[in-house]
Amino acid sequence: MTGTLRQMLTCHWSARRIQRYLDADPAAPLTPGEVARLEGHLATCERCTRIVQEHRTLHRALSRWSGATSVDSRSVDRVREFLSTIDDQDPT
Amino acid sequence: MTESRPPDDGARKSSFGELVEPEIEVLLRVALTITSNRADAEDLVQESLLRAYRAIDRFDGRHPRAWLLTILRNTNANLHRRRRPGTIGDWELIRTARPAFGRAELPSAEDSFINDELHANLDTAVRALDPRFRTALILVDVHDLSYSEAAAVMGVPVGTVMSRLSRARDRVRKSLRLSPLTRGDLS
Ligand SMILES: [Zn+2]
Repeated sequence: MTGTLRQMLTCHWSARRIQRYLDADPAAPLTPGEVARLEGHLATCERCTRIVQEHRTLHRALSRWSGATSVDSRSVDRVREFLSTIDDQDPT
Repeated sequence: MTESRPPDDGARKSSFGELVEPEIEVLLRVALTITSNRADAEDLVQESLLRAYRAIDRFDGRHPRAWLLTILRNTNANLHRRRRPGTIGDWELIRTARPAFGRAELPSAEDSFINDELHANLDTAVRALDPRFRTALILVDVHDLSYSEAAAVMGVPVGTVMSRLSRARDRVRKSLRLSPLTRGDLS
């Protein structure tokens, strides 16, 4: 009983950190202690492991969408060209 | 950056060029997302670069991408005052211009189950999101921006990006889980 409650609390604790764990963004890092605790929990919790897998799948699928806005190399060239003339247009 | 800025215009221009050059592509990608078409995106990036060049003296030299994205956002806001802040105007572009997923450039065994059906459901789920949540999701998960960079584009604090992103992902994840077509891929 106590074990189940503790497990639930850990799941709740983990759920609040899974995305930061996966993103590993410099603006919101987990502490090494949090990472260790989370990884320890994931090693034993099927439910949270499934959530991690869902997030990974979701991210992979969404990152494929970047192809939709793949930048035309001619656009890059035109901006580069513009960059080289920028002080002519703005003689500050 | 300010102190070390070379005095002559040629050197100033080349250091500005070095700063900006690696960011051109990401600027164009984000611009394409917040404007309606490629020509507008190019105009927005060029106008932003002009403003950045004028403001270079006030740039502290750290996080050039976030700095440029902030300028991009402000420039866009000035050009289109009526656009709601923090939303992406061009969801349709992403949706319709998306390439066929069957021919991914780097197919892997891991990705093979991300099939067309999943993408159709994903499309529906992302479309259903509140635009503010959707923007966070697209900037971070599609365009691979960091939290700070997304915050610069959206004009909100990093914590707001994180909470919107988190809610967007959870909603999409749950609606995919409920979808019969994912056949266990996400459930
Ligand atoms: Zn758990």
